[in-house]
Amino acid sequence: MLSSKPIYDYLVIGGGSGGLASARRASGIHGAKVALIEAQHRLGGTCVNVGCVPKKVMWNAASVAEALRDAKHYGFGDQEPVKFNWELMKEKRDAYVKRLNGIYERNLGNDKVEHIQGFASFVNENTVRVQTSESESIEVHANKILIATGGHPLIPDIPGSNYGIDSDGFFDLEHQPKRVAVVGTGYIGVELAGIFNTLGTQTTIFSRTKQILRSFDNIIKDNLLKEMQSVGVNFAFDSKVNALVRESENGPITIQYESDGKPETLEVDCVVWAVGRLPNIKKLNLEAANVKINEKGYIIADAYQQTTQENVLALGDACGVAELTPVAIAAGRKLSDRLFGGEQFKDSKLDYENIPTVVFSHPTAGTIGYTEDQAREKFGTENVKTYTSKFTNMYFSMLEHKEPTAYKLVCAGDDEKVVGVHILGRGSDEILQGFGVAVRMGATKANFDSCVAIHPTAAEELVTMR
Amino acid sequence: SSQQNTIHRIQHIQTCLTMAPVSKASKKLFDYIVIGGGSGGMASARRAAGIHGASVALIEAHSVLGGTCVNVGCVPKKVMWNTASIYETLRQAKGYGYEFSDVKFNWAVIKAKRDAYIKRLNGIYDNNLAKEKVEHLHGHASFVNASTISITREGADAIEIEGKHILIATGGHAIIPQVPGRDLGISSDGFFELEEQPKRVAVVGTGYIGVELAGIFHALGSDVTIFSRTKQILRKFDPIIKDTLLDHMKKQGVHFTFDSKVTALRKSGNGIIVDFESDGQKGELEVDCVLWAVGRAANTKELNVEAAGVKVDDKQQIVTDEYQNTSAKNVYSLGDVIGKAELTPVAIAAGRKLSDRLFGGPQFAHSKLDYINIPTVVFSHPTIGTIGYTEPEAREKFGDENIKTYVTRFGNMYFSVLDEKEPTAYKLIVTGKEEKVVGLHIIGKDSDEMLQGFGVAIRMGATKADFDSCVAIHPTSSEELVTLR
Repeated sequence: MLSSKPIYDYLVIGGGSGGLASARRASGIHGAKVALIEAQHRLGGTCVNVGCVPKKVMWNAASVAEALRDAKHYGFGDQEPVKFNWELMKEKRDAYVKRLNGIYERNLGNDKVEHIQGFASFVNENTVRVQTSESESIEVHANKILIATGGHPLIPDIPGSNYGIDSDGFFDLEHQPKRVAVVGTGYIGVELAGIFNTLGTQTTIFSRTKQILRSFDNIIKDNLLKEMQSVGVNFAFDSKVNALVRESENGPITIQYESDGKPETLEVDCVVWAVGRLPNIKKLNLEAANVKINEKGYIIADAYQQTTQENVLALGDACGVAELTPVAIAAGRKLSDRLFGGEQFKDSKLDYENIPTVVFSHPTAGTIGYTEDQAREKFGTENVKTYTSKFTNMYFSMLEHKEPTAYKLVCAGDDEKVVGVHILGRGSDEILQGFGVAVRMGATKANFDSCVAIHPTAAEELVTMR
Repeated sequence: SSQQNTIHRIQHIQTCLTMAPVSKASKKLFDYIVIGGGSGGMASARRAAGIHGASVALIEAHSVLGGTCVNVGCVPKKVMWNTASIYETLRQAKGYGYEFSDVKFNWAVIKAKRDAYIKRLNGIYDNNLAKEKVEHLHGHASFVNASTISITREGADAIEIEGKHILIATGGHAIIPQVPGRDLGISSDGFFELEEQPKRVAVVGTGYIGVELAGIFHALGSDVTIFSRTKQILRKFDPIIKDTLLDHMKKQGVHFTFDSKVTALRKSGNGIIVDFESDGQKGELEVDCVLWAVGRAANTKELNVEAAGVKVDDKQQIVTDEYQNTSAKNVYSLGDVIGKAELTPVAIAAGRKLSDRLFGGPQFAHSKLDYINIPTVVFSHPTIGTIGYTEPEAREKFGDENIKTYVTRFGNMYFSVLDEKEPTAYKLIVTGKEEKVVGLHIIGKDSDEMLQGFGVAIRMGATKADFDSCVAIHPTSSEELVTLR
């Protein structure tokens, strides 16, 4: 049982991807005395519960729908209309996530990390109060404290916004909505819209601009937008949602919006807000620990995950830099190596450059490094050369609908060092990792070309570009 | 010898008088004559003509271009693998909350579409040759001497052309064993001629071709028995691959007859009877189709290479050095006919490097293909990827004490909601203190698209630390390769 004043080497606030990885490394590998505080009643944070994992299960489910539609062209008889049992899939998905929660719990135990359930807030730079129930709290003292509290979806402050759901709510949906509006065009909005549309829900995406995935390279956002339009996703461009109106509980929702300045409405059964995320810092009482945040509210941490308070560290979505599970995990492990691993690890830190990432759109997209525009700005247009390839995956040779594949290499300098790889097309999700390794090794175009192609694959096009 | 030469010339003239003429060549002397319009020949011819401006003639005996890969290899194979994969997905659909009406698969539908697709590719290849101003001559080539080729074709006069450089890229063909009733079976060529799906299939052979075709048949619902001379399949592959796949194929219901030797094929009322010996016992199995997948041999027989002084080895494969030179000056060879890394991209790469060296100028004087660390994929179910040494090979080459392996086995998330499970297994083989990666072997969903990037890294000399220093991409299978412990 917990005593009132335990002293830990390391106190981790947040049992998500970053927190768990750091806690387990510190305790399991380096033998530090570690406690981890999690406010929710399950471990895993966003990734396991309302992010990467259930998202991928749904993407897999949507991919099966695509195969069912393709079946007749391949000689298997017409399988349409494709009817999806959302309820069954939610049940299985929830069960799988629950299994993972259990595994994470056991892993923490196996690594001898003390798990405290409750809501943490700073008393001072070495002391955290944990609200373990409405009336009870304990104080925990630690030498080093890690803030890995993650983030949450942003819901805009407009009339009726509460009629909409966010990505958390997407995973609570018991039934498949017939008509959905997704507001937002970052990867989360694009992924969820893609899942909905592929599963047969009539989907409309609201974009403040004429684009989706605005921060991605042109070859990805332009081709994906066209493809989504061609498979029936509706788009409201240059739009601003002003209000949501709902007449009856669980009834349809009317979206009042402006498009190109003109007022419009759209009736749907479900609205998903995907307009951004914010860090979980509000109730942490950071001031008590002298931990500063930036103008957007994210915790300021340097390259070593050091905050403005010497013994307090921060990483993951709470810092707002490369908000990805593997980034939080890698940063968490490097940090624990540095804090508890001894002299050889004293400079251990995560290199935040060239982090590969994949979007589970239809088709999938992968990216690492600079976009073409970013590269031209950083290296100068005259020093940048791009190689592109657009083709149709052989899979579509038997089908009427030709989904595009588009690849771009962004190279800089005389030796044509690869500073960006951007791929869209069937298989991109599993293609990128190996190229990520090569790019981080400083690969040049010649390095890419010198590897014999593997045939017949889509990936081979990346080593045969002209 | 000069006497032999005369005999050959007489034989050759006799042949010409009995065979038909070919269309005329535009000239007598070319910079480059390419014998064989498959992967290697096409790539080399196009590079020489299109990039380096050489005058090139390409001779193809078949009425279509593309060789094995396009017509009876990689391309139609992949179409069938895609088809089989769809069926696998359809059978998994129920677990994912869909209804699937399991109608009988219509083999004829996909065959027709597949043939049409290949025909389109044949046309594209024709256009590509024409665009790069490669002269495409239809007919059967044979050597008159090291710089002269005779081309014969039914219904036309034979012609002779000369080349400053000549490339032999005639490819290979499937071996049919010398047993009674052998013609009742088909080879991989015959697989692509099948108009209907056979109910029961025997596949003789356990190299990648046998394994791939057996896998397609089985995934599409045929009853499949694989005959292996040993207790293994994919004998040359790393144990993690062959053992994992064999295990899985057995679980999926593919039958295996191990330590077996097929002695004859006989026709029966209901199909074909395979007579075999297994473990000293005689046995027979009735099937509707027998597929021979026991190996391939080089297409050198009718080339008359002796007339050019080109040596072949005991397998009739053309002997070459690392620059693709044969024993005859200005005669080169590559691709399946030399029997080394028989893969389309290898032939293409070797063909391009050769043309660079011959016609690209002094900067390309040492251009050649490096045959080490060639990545390759097997389209089994699930797929396989491999590059570099297997573990036994690495242990032999570097010594046990200098080898370390990293292995992971896991279930792809895709199967987390299904009853049926498919394995994923990865092995990294490293050597030395710096843990340089000398082998990578992967089996599992999506291995086919995963390997290429890692191939680039390994050819750059990647170490385990290089792998680990790349942030993982989540959730994927590939991330397991950069988080190995």
